[in-house]
Amino acid sequence: MSGKYSTIIRDGLWSNNPILFQVLGICSTLAVTNSLRNTFIMTMGVTFSTAFASWNLSLMKDFIPRKVRMIMQVLVISFYVIIVDIILRAYLPEASKQLGPYVGLIITNCILMGRAEAFAAANKPVASFIDGLANGLGYTAILVGIAVVRELLGFGTLLGLRVAPANFVPMTIMIMPPSAFFLVALVAWWAKSLGIRKAAWKQPRQAPSAAR
Amino acid sequence: MKRDSTVYVVLFTFFVCAFFVALLAVANELTKDRVEANRRFAAQSAVLDALGIGYAARTDAETIYAERLSVSGEGSDRYYSTAIDGERHLAALVSGPGLWGTIEIMLAMDMDSSRLDGIQVLSQNETPGLGGRIDEQWFKRQFRGELIGPEGISITSGAEAAGTGDADPENSRLDGITGASRTSQAMEAIVNSGIAKLRKLPGGVQ
Repeated sequence: MSGKYSTIIRDGLWSNNPILFQVLGICSTLAVTNSLRNTFIMTMGVTFSTAFASWNLSLMKDFIPRKVRMIMQVLVISFYVIIVDIILRAYLPEASKQLGPYVGLIITNCILMGRAEAFAAANKPVASFIDGLANGLGYTAILVGIAVVRELLGFGTLLGLRVAPANFVPMTIMIMPPSAFFLVALVAWWAKSLGIRKAAWKQPRQAPSAAR
Repeated sequence: MKRDSTVYVVLFTFFVCAFFVALLAVANELTKDRVEANRRFAAQSAVLDALGIGYAARTDAETIYAERLSVSGEGSDRYYSTAIDGERHLAALVSGPGLWGTIEIMLAMDMDSSRLDGIQVLSQNETPGLGGRIDEQWFKRQFRGELIGPEGISITSGAEAAGTGDADPENSRLDGITGASRTSQAMEAIVNSGIAKLRKLPGGVQ
């Protein structure tokens, strides 16, 4: 794998993670992360749609008139999201019923259009596909982490299986949207301070050499 | 042709839309039967589960449904009837306001011995983890075989915390959900209105 692709992957997964650093797709973080199973299905849908929509838009980019660029982006994104919706309805009817309108709302997830506009509009199809995939997986990692905490503390279960002891008192706040706010903020805080500390560590090592 | 000329924009947009819509139409056509089968199974299994009629597999559900149930009435007056051990059982869709939105349940009762067969929650928008727990097994299980009193059934709030429900089927009383008194009251009202609705049906013994 060339260095270019590994940079794209590292950016999507960590250093430019859509939730932590781009702060995109926060709405869906609040809506679906109180159950691990639904979160996983939803984030897989987002990853699939982002990767293929970016690839497809990159293929089309030289032919799209500037005036209708965004309309075309929404069209292609909706196409892939509706495909996800059709697959869920046909093969996972229970999950489709539970997720309800949230699958359709992937269309409005800012990550999809954000990557289409920021990356796919100026890069080659394969790189765009990898970028979409990496961003989707970066989004998945954060959401799944939050869902584990919320489902565990809110229901005492994981993937619907009871893991907490019998005398465990569920924290109802964890099931409500506000808890996702707190958790996203905590994770973003942790990630940002990690970056700052890393920069601070580099400083003293460089300072003496600059002084010399 | 220039990329920003009106003719190009119109033609490009038209053909791209037509292309993607055609693909979606194909995908929809390919999965149509499966989606329809899922929908039918969801509707039939709700009736069977409410009545407490067991089925081994998905394919059995359809056969049992066709053999044992008769459907009468149209639209919101539709009801399902069957005979279990010589007694007449009816099931119908009942809905009413919950805390956030309409709660829709399938309610089944034994008309002869005046006992509930059970309920299935078909749609609800109650608070997840609180009112949303009406869809949990321990809550729904309480309805099975519950005797209907002169005042119908009552759902008491605050009585349970362990999530086990009321075990006595003779007291016409069920445990509500702690922290969801309004949803529990709504369920009581919906179930009692459903009992009244089933009794008014032709052949519904008082």
